[in-house]
Amino acid sequence: MSKALVVFQKEWLELRLQRGLLLATLGVPPAITVFAIVVFALAGHAPGDVVTRGIPLPPDLIGLSSNEIAQAIVGKQFSVIFFLLPVFIPSVIASYAIVGEKRDRTLEPLLATPIRTSQLLVGKSLSALVPTVVLTLACALLFVAGIALWAVTPRVAGVVITPGWVAVLAVDMPLLALIGIALIVIVSSRVNDPRTAQQVSAVLIVPVLGLLFGQLSGVLVLNLPFALLGALVLGFFAFVALRLATDLFGREAILTRWR
Amino acid sequence: MGNAIETHGLTRRFDGRVAVEDLNVAIPEGTVFGFLGPNGAGKTTTVRLLAALIAPSAGDAIVAGHRLGADDDALRRSVGILTESPGLYERLSARQNLTYFARLYDLTTGRAAKQVERYLRMLELWDRRDDPVGTFSKGMRQKLAIARALLHEPPVLFLDEPTAGLDPEAARTVRDFVALLRREGRTIFLTTHNLPEADELCDTIAVFQRHLVRVGTPTELRSGLFGAGTVVRIVGDARPFVAVAHALPFVRDAGADGERLSLRIDDPEARNPELIEALMGAGARIRYVEPIRHSLEDVYLRLVGQGGK
Repeated sequence: MSKALVVFQKEWLELRLQRGLLLATLGVPPAITVFAIVVFALAGHAPGDVVTRGIPLPPDLIGLSSNEIAQAIVGKQFSVIFFLLPVFIPSVIASYAIVGEKRDRTLEPLLATPIRTSQLLVGKSLSALVPTVVLTLACALLFVAGIALWAVTPRVAGVVITPGWVAVLAVDMPLLALIGIALIVIVSSRVNDPRTAQQVSAVLIVPVLGLLFGQLSGVLVLNLPFALLGALVLGFFAFVALRLATDLFGREAILTRWR
Repeated sequence: MGNAIETHGLTRRFDGRVAVEDLNVAIPEGTVFGFLGPNGAGKTTTVRLLAALIAPSAGDAIVAGHRLGADDDALRRSVGILTESPGLYERLSARQNLTYFARLYDLTTGRAAKQVERYLRMLELWDRRDDPVGTFSKGMRQKLAIARALLHEPPVLFLDEPTAGLDPEAARTVRDFVALLRREGRTIFLTTHNLPEADELCDTIAVFQRHLVRVGTPTELRSGLFGAGTVVRIVGDARPFVAVAHALPFVRDAGADGERLSLRIDDPEARNPELIEALMGAGARIRYVEPIRHSLEDVYLRLVGQGGK
């Protein structure tokens, strides 16, 4: 495990030295969060009952005023971005973690050291996971503060920021990020172009979009049981994906077939 | 003195294609072993096999007392490798690069710092220790990669083309450093295309072309291929003395070119006085006598030209 930390520290050091990549990767989520808060604040001042006309309301919005509903819908929509961020933030970092080593020919001396594949991949994955989780949680905190500050009534804040949403964010979001990273690592060890590896994480958008539409339609309710069930399912997939990443990381193939 | 490296029928195939076939060598501790061969001969594959980077298809090897495949982590701790390409992290400084690898080789933080300083100073990179490696010249990168291979003080070193692409001054520094490492008692497995370099540094040389073509000391390789001989420079035309030389029972072949009389002799050191006496007796005025010396390039080209036959 100590070698995984050594790899993690080196990756983080390299990332810090790549100002452009760092800004592009870690600067966008706060910008999106600020945008979400601004749109949420403006939605509270939407005129009349434009928002609710002809739309069947989910149970948690019934009884709210027109402005409250407008804000709540916008807030709920944007609340899902915190499940999309963990898919996108690590994709650049994780894909360069392996493909970058292959491209720069640094992998052979690295594999010549007494480091196990699992230690290497844990270190690489941590370097993408830690900033992702920290940044997503920081942005989520900012979002919560914005909602609390600019919700037209406390009822709106209560509809957007639910204990279920917090639980899903705390428990499921890191697992979702981990699955994405493991998928990228699997693909990274088989391709030479980091962009190819980045694309694979896009498949995780599908379940996240399902979460968005399910929540808006009232079919899905983000509560503690949902978060725990999600943790079980995602935890299983994360374990399988990490195991696969380790098993499929062919040291020999990478050294002898990649040019 | 035991062997630092022993291979027994070491073989590696890739999808049915043989890269290394039935390699049998024994390399004594504290020697420099030159591994020569044309591009694509399997030299880098052999280094990767012996450094436990890839597994053999057949045969086995013992490197620094560790059998391949038995405990590869222990084997990797006992060897250092300079790969074909230096493979350094360009954004990190020289010190950061080395510290990273020192920690991967299980050195404590304190020892890592000491070793990093020691080798950066030895290789004259200490003044540039905090500069990004991306700003380094090719020679500096190569020296840094050599330092990286030595941080954990391995008894066995694999150097794959250590002076390839370096200017003469940088190449000289690297060669001097290799000689220093040999004096420290390390075993060095050196692959190179630079034949004068191999001649200068290596105790033993193997010519390899998917399989071992020939192995021996540089002197053994020369005499084995070309035989021993003497060149006699004579004042005037040497041709009249060819017949005189042929008449001597220990002369296997003789030829003349201007003043130069070239002779293949079984044991020049013992027979040269008798030869000179015979030539002078026949009226030859001798300018000087020297051994026939074939370059390692002659040896290499002959062996590789034979295609390993």
